[in-house]
Amino acid sequence: MHAWETRKKGPVYLQIVDNILHDIARGKLAPDEKLPSVRELAESMGVNPNTVIHAYTELERMGITYTRRGQGTYVRPDVPQDLLRKKFLEAAARKFWAEVEALGLSLAEAVQALEEVVHGGSSVRGDQEIRKS
Amino acid sequence: MVVRLCGVTKKYGRVEALRGVDLEIPCGQVVGLLGPNGAGKSTLLRILAGMCFPSTGTVEVLGGPPRRHRARIAFLPEPGCLLPWMTPPQVERLARGLFPDFQVQRFRELLEFLEVPARPAGTLSRGERQRLELALITSRNADLYLLDEPLGGVDLVSRRRILQGLIRTWRSEATTIISTHEVHEAEGLFERVVFLNQGRVVLDEMAENLRAQGRSVAETFMEVFS
Repeated sequence: MHAWETRKKGPVYLQIVDNILHDIARGKLAPDEKLPSVRELAESMGVNPNTVIHAYTELERMGITYTRRGQGTYVRPDVPQDLLRKKFLEAAARKFWAEVEALGLSLAEAVQALEEVVHGGSSVRGDQEIRKS
Repeated sequence: MVVRLCGVTKKYGRVEALRGVDLEIPCGQVVGLLGPNGAGKSTLLRILAGMCFPSTGTVEVLGGPPRRHRARIAFLPEPGCLLPWMTPPQVERLARGLFPDFQVQRFRELLEFLEVPARPAGTLSRGERQRLELALITSRNADLYLLDEPLGGVDLVSRRRILQGLIRTWRSEATTIISTHEVHEAEGLFERVVFLNQGRVVLDEMAENLRAQGRSVAETFMEVFS
């Protein structure tokens, strides 16, 4: 996590919460895995350690992490990874759809664009065009 | 309250450096003191360090006049505090004699982390010298740290290293006041920001509150002083 360049808007503690949720959704942080120590994370992000503590408290309140006394903060074994994955996918889809609408395109066209991206994009169509000629 | 200023005014001849400043800072806060040149930032820090006295108004630091608790205050003045011939080992020897709260081990670790060359201060670049000074100041177990422009005039890599050094030595019970122009990089460090302009406090807010309103500290800085 490097907040130096990309200081987004909104409270920093929420950005940290979001980053960690994202890491769990992507499997970069597994259940029962230890989060970086407060000072490590503060140092690598260039933020006040109190802000990291605030974020960790929030994660625990949300039922995402738990604290082992004197050992640090861990991802809960029962962390709802699938639900988090769905939430981030939804957020990405909403962004994607906003762009589709802004461009004045249809759902069918959006689906087609997505399929093209997944299946090798424009090169597929290029091959077909070559075959036709 | 670690710091309590009440109606503080400071005049240098006919120039008013501070005009009626009221400020209270509780224990453990990291405060960014922000403002353009001549806003009064250095004067405010010097008053808190007991280096000069207000023309009118009252100052209380750690529950008394600043000079009573000088041993518990670590002050980094803006022109720096090192003589050109001093090498890091000489700084260490001097600091051990001067400051009962000086942590030798921490100083040596910081010199390494901050990559300070083992040469006399006079031969160091500005960034290197500033890192040496920061190592000196933050190796003390003080209750109040007053840092005047620790990031001023140094390159980006030095600024980040200095900030990381500050976080590395952070103690939750210590209070820190940092004046700076480099709002962008330092803003994540501040819990609270106090904006000074022409000797007055023009804005005093928790940094996360500003960001919750959708404005970064840097953006607010631009708005207030544009």
